[in-house]
Amino acid sequence: MFAWLEGTALATWTRESPSIWAYPTILTLHTIGLGIVVGANAVVDFRLLGFGKRIPLSSLLPLFRITWWAFALNAATGVLLFMSDATTKSAQVVFYIKLSLIAVALVTMIATRRMVDSREPTLPSRARTVAVLSLLLWAGAITAGRLMAYL
Amino acid sequence: MDPFIHWVRSSAASNWVNSTVWIWPLCETLHFIGLSLVIGIVGFFDLRLMGFFRRVSIGAARELMPLALAGFLLNLSTGLVFLIGLPEQYMHNSAWWTKVGFLVLAGLNALFYETTLARRLTAMAEGADTPAAAKLIGALSLFSWFGVLYWGRMLPFIGNAF
Repeated sequence: MFAWLEGTALATWTRESPSIWAYPTILTLHTIGLGIVVGANAVVDFRLLGFGKRIPLSSLLPLFRITWWAFALNAATGVLLFMSDATTKSAQVVFYIKLSLIAVALVTMIATRRMVDSREPTLPSRARTVAVLSLLLWAGAITAGRLMAYL
Repeated sequence: MDPFIHWVRSSAASNWVNSTVWIWPLCETLHFIGLSLVIGIVGFFDLRLMGFFRRVSIGAARELMPLALAGFLLNLSTGLVFLIGLPEQYMHNSAWWTKVGFLVLAGLNALFYETTLARRLTAMAEGADTPAAAKLIGALSLFSWFGVLYWGRMLPFIGNAF
């Protein structure tokens, strides 16, 4: 199935087209999306950890909309990058580690969003733990992604 | 090979970068983490300068800036590792010089803000709209940092090195 995926016209174009709009642009969009997703999450996480305390938590809610759009961009470009090299990437353990880290990071993101959206005057005691976990998971996902090019 | 590149290349530091297998992937990973911090924190501040997130005062958004500085210093130092390792791949590469140009633009823009509007805007109350000059500075900052990111990632594809 991975060999079929890799042989589709879309995968072949992504991989082999000499156009700057093929592989280079898809990869760059994936990096731009990464910066926005991880960066916007970091703003929320560091605020939960006590940085920028004068920022009202609920004012950060619109950030999540930006994050979801950037995440959608990375899901789409990620699928294209995976297709273009499906047989190799599907055999990489670190690829599955990356996907798992992202899956758990999304769970922490839903948890932080709930805290930002809450009307409670005080943060739940787990806020700091969730924030640290979120930062570590996103950093881990970046690490796993980078290592895909080396392992 | 010009003398400067030859000098860097024959240094012990350059030799160490090139003979240690884990140093390049490690620095790349840190470079990506640093870029996320800069994009996230500076981007948030820029959006506030542009008039978004008005419930956050400029002064409050500014309190996150040390984290962006930490991300920037991380990227400056890991970037130096790349440059020391393979100077010819960067210094002979038009994409890298374009990236440096965008970095200078981002720096001068920030310096201009700090020396003109910063004091007044930091004291501004939350809810207040920003003057047109601040909106322009915020937009220019956003544009230049994404420019830095774009030309950095496009470096292997647009330039003539590698």
